[in-house]
Amino acid sequence: MRAEPPNSIWLVIAAYNEAAVIGVVLADLIGCGHSVVVVDDGSIDATASIAGSAGAIVVPHPINLGQGAALQTGIEFALRRGADCIVTFDADGQHRAGDVAALIEALMKNDADFALGSRFLGASVAMPFSRRLLLKTAAWFTRVTTGLRVTDTHNGLRAMTRRGASEIALRQNRMAHASELLHEIARSGLRYVEVPVTIEYSKYSLAKGQRLADSLKILVDLSAQRLHR
Amino acid sequence: MIAQIGLSILLAGIVVYAWTEYARAPAIGFVSMLVAAAGLYFVWLPEHATWLAELVGIGRGVDLILYVWVVISLLVMLNLHLKLRSQMELITALAREVAIANARSPATTK
Repeated sequence: MRAEPPNSIWLVIAAYNEAAVIGVVLADLIGCGHSVVVVDDGSIDATASIAGSAGAIVVPHPINLGQGAALQTGIEFALRRGADCIVTFDADGQHRAGDVAALIEALMKNDADFALGSRFLGASVAMPFSRRLLLKTAAWFTRVTTGLRVTDTHNGLRAMTRRGASEIALRQNRMAHASELLHEIARSGLRYVEVPVTIEYSKYSLAKGQRLADSLKILVDLSAQRLHR
Repeated sequence: MIAQIGLSILLAGIVVYAWTEYARAPAIGFVSMLVAAAGLYFVWLPEHATWLAELVGIGRGVDLILYVWVVISLLVMLNLHLKLRSQMELITALAREVAIANARSPATTK
């Protein structure tokens, strides 16, 4: 069965001190004709004003809360504005604007509620070996703990339907949100599909990316969450 | 006798504290309550502590109680950590509402 194409597509971008690249990233996206919301996560640089000038709606966190919190804010904002479909996109320029359409297409074609970008099905430009090893391990861990059959667990490019987005409640403000999101998808029992996307590694995006020490912190965060309400 | 009374009051306080925390973090509340209750018991019956200590391979009952005390402290610390996390979630919810209320459309940001 093929679902109706969504009327109102919202792109959600979480940005923290991304003034150097956010303008270029937005220039590619604004042209697509979708609504774009940038959640400025308490940046101390010109991220918010650049994003506003580029044509995005800016939702400014009064304090820095982390990427997970910013994504949840953006999703909530888009839902309140009546979004039918929400796409999350990283601010650091590692995604391609052209992949957005493929994700939305995959949602409709498969009648799914989540379309998850995967660099391991698609292409990665200039991915260092250490990063590949870390991501593969993370994917393995998530497959074991959630039962989801995914190849890439830490890809910021995802699309979700309104129904899917309403099921997601991220409590992990910091980096553990990527794993948490997958747990939420597994819990919702809704249909998900992985879509090949291209990730372009630049010096800039690598400096902002995750390292091995972060993954230990993510494990601690995820286990701590299970101990309290 | 004085030490026993003092310790009993402290441990009883922990039992009550653990009880009030039980609703929020059941795992931690339960373990703290159990450990503190055991402490209360051994303070008054140290010979039982010595018996149990020898059973599990610890020299004296006093040492066993000391270890138990360390465990309680760690649990209380973990509980504080979890409380801070809950508080962070409240702050996040608040900040999120503030952010959404202050959303700027592209035209007005210029």
